[in-house]
Amino acid sequence: MPREAMLAQTLVQLADTLVADFDVVELLTLLADRCVEVLDVGAAGLMLVAPEGDLRVMASSSDAMHVLELFEIQAQEGPCLDAFRSGQPVVNQNLASTNGRWPQFAPEALAAGFRSVHALPMRLRGTVIGALNLFHIEAGEMRAADVEAAQAFADVATIAILQHRASTEAQVLNDQLNHALNSRIVIEQAKGMVAERADLSMEDAFAALRNHARRNNLRLADVANDVIGGRLSAATLLAPPSPRS
Amino acid sequence: MPGERRLRILSRLVAIEGSEPDTARLCQLCADVTEMSGAGIMLMSGDVPRGSVCTTNDVSALIEQLQYDLGEGPCVDAYNEDRPVLEPDLAHPHALRWLAFAQPAIAAGVRAVFGFPLQVGSVRLGALNLYRDRTGALSDEQHADALAVADVVAQAVLVLQANAPEGQLAAELEATGNFQYVVHQASGMIAAQLDVTLAQAMIRLRAHAFGNGRPLVEVAGDVVGRRLRLGAGPDWDVDT
Repeated sequence: MPREAMLAQTLVQLADTLVADFDVVELLTLLADRCVEVLDVGAAGLMLVAPEGDLRVMASSSDAMHVLELFEIQAQEGPCLDAFRSGQPVVNQNLASTNGRWPQFAPEALAAGFRSVHALPMRLRGTVIGALNLFHIEAGEMRAADVEAAQAFADVATIAILQHRASTEAQVLNDQLNHALNSRIVIEQAKGMVAERADLSMEDAFAALRNHARRNNLRLADVANDVIGGRLSAATLLAPPSPRS
Repeated sequence: MPGERRLRILSRLVAIEGSEPDTARLCQLCADVTEMSGAGIMLMSGDVPRGSVCTTNDVSALIEQLQYDLGEGPCVDAYNEDRPVLEPDLAHPHALRWLAFAQPAIAAGVRAVFGFPLQVGSVRLGALNLYRDRTGALSDEQHADALAVADVVAQAVLVLQANAPEGQLAAELEATGNFQYVVHQASGMIAAQLDVTLAQAMIRLRAHAFGNGRPLVEVAGDVVGRRLRLGAGPDWDVDT
């Protein structure tokens, strides 16, 4: 398949995964694998910033220990960290002549068999969330078209992740909203049951539920749930508190 | 551009003066931006209406109440089908739909009605309904504005709830909301009276309301006020 066709197909495939619920790690792993195929690199990986602020490896084209270590080390130093901090691409770095820029990373990368390294920032407007890391077995410059393609991959991944985060946050908030509504409904139902069984007004029924909750250090919604579940009778609810020894 | 449209709507929201609760302003904004007679914001989950966040007037309130009672209408369809539902001529629809909803809505003066899903990403919260007292389709501009304002509303509802204490509905949502609490109180009473489940009690309540052509909330009020008691046999009024 011609390279341009592979590139286009990869972007379509990536866009496709964004439609439904998708797994971020799965998407990033797909992207890393595609980088190796389409951009003809020896290894590729993606690092994302964790809530604590440090970079963590999220996906790698290779499970080999010596490759994974190359990502992990970049939490402290390396092209990913530089691209992440600056928001700028770090490309065509000849590992044999980094002049002590990455004293730990460069020798390890060379030992792992790589000659050059690149990192493309994952950014959207002002936000940088990580970096795409590419390793070449040969020294030499990456073609400008390849750098552009790599950045396009990084951009798609960034949009996917930010959308996924927003969607997850919305899901959590909507769950809270529904939970709050459900709790309230259960309380109203319990009020109705207690009002009927003990021949009370809604206000007095509510007071009985609330007092029982306070006396026993329970949540009102849990007391209400026990009432409608038949585990707590109106008689028990209204019984005067037994003196404790 | 969608971004510009959204910005224009947000600036209008901020510009609305007065001491009304946020949600009331939000509802009014929906009607104003789209140049409709009224608007309402309905929360749904599990395919059923859960309550109303706000409505701009009595007709909008009725549109929401009917959907809550009957389980059909533009919001229910917009939510379930996950797309805008447009009925430019409620009295003479393309295809027959909303057989129970349409007649009382028309009687209240609704001529055209539109439902837009409220969603953030893949999360669906409910639906926005817009109505007009004369027939006619939405212009492209109105349609685009409705989509943008629905987006703003969905975000706003989640942001309001985000500040609420755990397990409680945000005070802003309670302020203008109608979550049919009396219906749930009545269900609880009926469940105790007839020794049936809450789901069965709710069905009995709905059946009585529908069978007598009365709003659910009114029947529930009678049960809670002990003016109506649903019997094991035919229902009977307490006073007669």
